[in-house]
Amino acid sequence: MKTTIIAAALAATALAGTAQADKLDDIIASGTLRCAVVLDFPPMGMRDDQNNPIGFDVDYCNDLAKALGVTAEIVETPFPERIPALMAGRVDVGVASTSDTLERAKTIGVTIPYYAFENAVVANDKVEMANWEGMKGKTVGATAGTYEAIWLEGKIKEWGEGNFRPYQTQADVFLALSQGQLDATVSTVEVANANVASGKFPGIKIVDKAPMVPDYVSLFTMRQEYGLINYMNLFINQQVRTGRYAELYKKWVGEGEPADLTIKGVYR
Amino acid sequence: MFGYTFQWKQALARLPQMLDGALVTLQIALLSMALGILLAILLTVFRRSGSRILNAIATAWVEIARNTPALFQIYMAHFGVASFGIHLSPFTSLLIGITFNNAGYLAENFRGALKAIPDTQARAGRSLGMTPLQSFRYVVMPQMLRIAFLPMTNQMVWAILMTSLGVTVGMNTDLYGVTQDLNALTFRTFELFALAAVIFYLMTKTVQFGARLIAARMFRY
Repeated sequence: MKTTIIAAALAATALAGTAQADKLDDIIASGTLRCAVVLDFPPMGMRDDQNNPIGFDVDYCNDLAKALGVTAEIVETPFPERIPALMAGRVDVGVASTSDTLERAKTIGVTIPYYAFENAVVANDKVEMANWEGMKGKTVGATAGTYEAIWLEGKIKEWGEGNFRPYQTQADVFLALSQGQLDATVSTVEVANANVASGKFPGIKIVDKAPMVPDYVSLFTMRQEYGLINYMNLFINQQVRTGRYAELYKKWVGEGEPADLTIKGVYR
Repeated sequence: MFGYTFQWKQALARLPQMLDGALVTLQIALLSMALGILLAILLTVFRRSGSRILNAIATAWVEIARNTPALFQIYMAHFGVASFGIHLSPFTSLLIGITFNNAGYLAENFRGALKAIPDTQARAGRSLGMTPLQSFRYVVMPQMLRIAFLPMTNQMVWAILMTSLGVTVGMNTDLYGVTQDLNALTFRTFELFALAAVIFYLMTKTVQFGARLIAARMFRY
């Protein structure tokens, strides 16, 4: 009788213990951190000659896993599939250059910014374009589901002329631009530089910076996972504090100062 | 467990935009069917013509259309032809891709239907003084279209569903494209796609029901 009660009490405590475990506990217990990373977005995410995932976001995921004392698992997710992957439980967090819009924050939980992009206007050589306003009335496109795509589509609607085409991958956008299907695109300065330098897309040129608010990007996870979001906020702070942020910037993006992640005059 | 709260109101607020997209989807499907039927009849005539070249063209068309993914056909209609300097809008590329696919499948349907029509029918037409083309046009073809009618509605359903492949060529005005756009904006993936699935289902069911009504009226003996 006594043993039964003790056993029942033990079982109850064990059950209560698991019931309270949050995502952060789950990750530590499982020993693996599964990150959604977009591998079609150089230099943030791409593949090397041996088809291994590399890039800023890949390193960032590895750093986070190291801090948690677990092994990182990179799960490739195209831009539109980041959220389904999270909700379906295929990944724990997203390290996927995700812009922290208010609309999206209603659905997912976002951290403080871990990187900020500036965007450039890239045009086909054959198109006369002096600055970003030259896109007015042209056929333009961008990668579906990105901050710059949302901005550009908004601009086309505002101008009331021209066409907007979202393609599913960054590679398709630059292929279409190189073929002349698109007159211009807006992409991050990093992607624009990498693609112009690679020579894989002949006949394109960088025209101008796009005049938009810097694209602050965040790590994300389920909205209710405060423990994990808190941890990741501190992690991002430490990455900057320890100089790792600048180190990764130099490694993947190039010389110069990485973007300031603070916004003057307001608390987060 | 699932860790996600469904917010149907957020998705339903976008319903008007999605219904506009559904109209574009129907437009593409109908156009691609109309063009596909005409082309399939042409391919059938090619195959019966006895000319080696025409027969080869028709056979190649049907083989490629039926044995490669529709996604590939649509992708080629956009990025493939662009490498030859021909630039088509996403709408046109999608329409061409689906029409190509429709024509291939329908030509096979027509071939099957022709097998069910006795040769004596064509000869009866000839004995009345019709040319081979006339006997095909006035005697054989009406029977062929009647036998192939239900398989044709299948292809129509397939055409509606194939429009969702348009996103790969930058299409953003059809139902699937609109849904994908809204998803990027709000990340309300499950609600939006569930809604899109319901709209797709209702469209295809309406087509099937409508086809049955038409068949009942037109093919009464």
